[in-house]
Amino acid sequence: MMLVPILLVGILVLAVAVVFFVVAGYNKLVALRNRFKNAFAQIDVQLKRRYDLIPNLVETAKGYIKHERETLEAVIAARNAASTANVKAAQNPGDATAMKELAGAEGALSGSLGRLFAVAEAYPDLKANQEMMRLMEELTSTENKIAFARQAYNDSVMIYNTERETFPTNLIANTFNFAAAEMFTIDKPEQKEAPKVSF
Amino acid sequence: MDFFERQEKCRRNTKLLEVYFALAVIGVIASVYLAALFVAHHYGIRHGRHDYSNYESSLSLWDPQLFLWVAMPTLALILGGTFYKIQQLAGGGSVVAEMLGGRLILPNTADPDEHRLRNVVEEMAIASGTPVPQIFVIDEQRGINAFAAGHSTSDMAVCVTRGALKLLTRDELQGVIGHEFSHILNGDMRLNLRLMGLVFGILCLTLFGRILLQTRGRKNPLPLAGLVLILIGSIGVFFAKLIKSAVNRQREFLADASAVQFTRNPAGLAGALKKIGSCGSRIDDSGAEDASHLFFANGLSESLLGLFSTHPPLDERIRALDPGFDGRFTPVDFSLLDDRGAKSQSPAVIAPGRGGTPSRLGDLIGGAIVATAMRGPSPPGQFAAHAGTVTPQHLDYAADLRSKLPPVLTDAAREPMGAIALIFAMLISPDEAMRKTQLDQLQQRLDPGMFQELSRLLSATAALDSRARLPLAVLAVPALRRLSPGQYAQFEDDLTFIIESDQQVELFEFMLQKLVTRQLDPHFQQPRRPVVQYYVLKPLLPDCVVLLSALACAGSGEPAAIRSAFQQGAAQLGIDGLSALERHACGLDQVEAALERINQGAPLLKKQVLNACGVTVAADGVIQEYEAELLRAIADALDCPIPPFLGV
Repeated sequence: MMLVPILLVGILVLAVAVVFFVVAGYNKLVALRNRFKNAFAQIDVQLKRRYDLIPNLVETAKGYIKHERETLEAVIAARNAASTANVKAAQNPGDATAMKELAGAEGALSGSLGRLFAVAEAYPDLKANQEMMRLMEELTSTENKIAFARQAYNDSVMIYNTERETFPTNLIANTFNFAAAEMFTIDKPEQKEAPKVSF
Repeated sequence: MDFFERQEKCRRNTKLLEVYFALAVIGVIASVYLAALFVAHHYGIRHGRHDYSNYESSLSLWDPQLFLWVAMPTLALILGGTFYKIQQLAGGGSVVAEMLGGRLILPNTADPDEHRLRNVVEEMAIASGTPVPQIFVIDEQRGINAFAAGHSTSDMAVCVTRGALKLLTRDELQGVIGHEFSHILNGDMRLNLRLMGLVFGILCLTLFGRILLQTRGRKNPLPLAGLVLILIGSIGVFFAKLIKSAVNRQREFLADASAVQFTRNPAGLAGALKKIGSCGSRIDDSGAEDASHLFFANGLSESLLGLFSTHPPLDERIRALDPGFDGRFTPVDFSLLDDRGAKSQSPAVIAPGRGGTPSRLGDLIGGAIVATAMRGPSPPGQFAAHAGTVTPQHLDYAADLRSKLPPVLTDAAREPMGAIALIFAMLISPDEAMRKTQLDQLQQRLDPGMFQELSRLLSATAALDSRARLPLAVLAVPALRRLSPGQYAQFEDDLTFIIESDQQVELFEFMLQKLVTRQLDPHFQQPRRPVVQYYVLKPLLPDCVVLLSALACAGSGEPAAIRSAFQQGAAQLGIDGLSALERHACGLDQVEAALERINQGAPLLKKQVLNACGVTVAADGVIQEYEAELLRAIADALDCPIPPFLGV
């Protein structure tokens, strides 16, 4: 009877189709994961630039704000903490713990910078210093870029997570251990904005 | 053979290839069936199912049940594999790079070696008029190797190994990159990817056979069947490799020759090959097998009699470039491989070897606008002949141009946010009153951070020479690829807004927008493989009329001049009885649609159209810089790379 072989052939063909479908789904998840990892790399470049600017800023300010040592030291400490957290996050972009730590450290850094600028208001000589103005300008520009890169990263994470959770790709995701990715959100609302430079 | 003829040849070769593979697939299925027939018969005899007395007569060649049982799944497997691979590769050149372990390099990278590579690639792209490809590095591979992959110039990816990144000098790197670009310009990228897809289907059989081989059980026919599949699969792979290798070896010699043309520095490419001699170019990766024909040098271990080698022998290639080669390869300093790059600050400017040539540009790019009336290509009717060519003068020009672009703009071009601001800044009207209106509207529309960035760049872009605008836009594209889909959609909206807001959309502004979106769309949507729909000019005539009319109108305000320009262009097409359209009938929407359709024409048709455009634009006797750039932008819309025009 022809029926049995045809049925078997049909099942075989179906099996082949399923295999290819699974592989395609796997590849798609890998591609989306690469996208958000690349998006984090862009944040990384900008964050590093920020961390490089801050010591210069503090050095310039030190000459004028002689009595506010704690404020200046707090900035440097926050900057170092953020830099460490960034290195960890860069090794594993999207990992929940690393991202939350980085967000926290960045928030603290912005906070301490804010306090520094508040203090600097009282020193008109510092405000007029050319180097200080240049550094402030670069810092603002960098922080704009960080916000922009963060938005791109969060978009990519959202797309990846959605794909990961939708049927039937979620079956593939669970089988091959595609972990959910964490967004990069700064918690405190007042620290979402770049410290205002108003001279 | 010019660019268009080469493209035509590649198209025909691709068709031929598909025929060969169809034959190979039929051969493989027939072999599988015959083998299965033998196996089944053998088992049949062993288990006494067949009568010994009529052994000969029971060996009939046609067994429909067996055929169905065996041949259909085989066909399904091969076709499934091929379609799957082709679908996967449809994602563009970056898919291949990532498959082989490539890491994307950001345009604003801080690493000095990656800086240098990026600069070399950018110079090549500017010199040849192609988009800047995505750049990848394979960190785990210490040999020296490289490849380029992609369907069209806008989804191109160039990938080098860590060895190539660290161990080559700038000149040698330029030779290798030049070689890869020659593949891009020769148009055989599409051929290569098709090859990859087809070969994979046949490889599937071997894979499946391997799986079967590992099943257990007594009297189990499966491992035997698996072995048979592997053997049959190898036969298919054998033929596939043979074809691949034959096609590839000719191409590699050709590509080396073109790379020399590009750099006029055979020492660079020869130097790279000599270092490979001592360092090796092996790629240890399971994915290397089906991509082996893409690589610059042989990525697999030397095989039997060099029959399957995808590349000509190394010393032959070196001798073709350096006849005095003494057979000794250049020793290589492997400690450089581990250098994290933190120390050396290599200057991001032209290497000393090149700097001696006085620039023929004469004048500043970033300075005052110099309205030199260029002769342009002579004669204008041969304009398209420049496509796909690069000469050392072009490279010098590109290096010089890059170094003279205002740093504030090039730095901005390499960051996603800065790149957006740069494109906007270049499109804002030069007219004072209109500019103010646009800026006010933009301030409402854009985020404060983005608007700040835009304002920062305005003064530099206002003073920009017209020859700098296209190159800057081209440099900005890699950073724009880093946008998220949402950000890209916003960017496109804002771009349309700016173009339309000055109510008097210039053709050049429109073409700039088109260039940027054309180069970015394959990244954000599935890259469409352009399928040739038109082989004769007749169906495209209305579109040509639209295009030529728009060009004629852009060149002059006088009706008589417009008609004359149009007629000259139409004459170049060899068609009588056409008349120019009114200005309102050849607006930007119509031009866009026309270009879409012309882009589906065969390469030789595009050549004709581009030549006609050149004649129309040159009808007033001279090609202004602005007009030259317009022509190049149109050529880009038709996926034809045209190098910058060098002044007289």
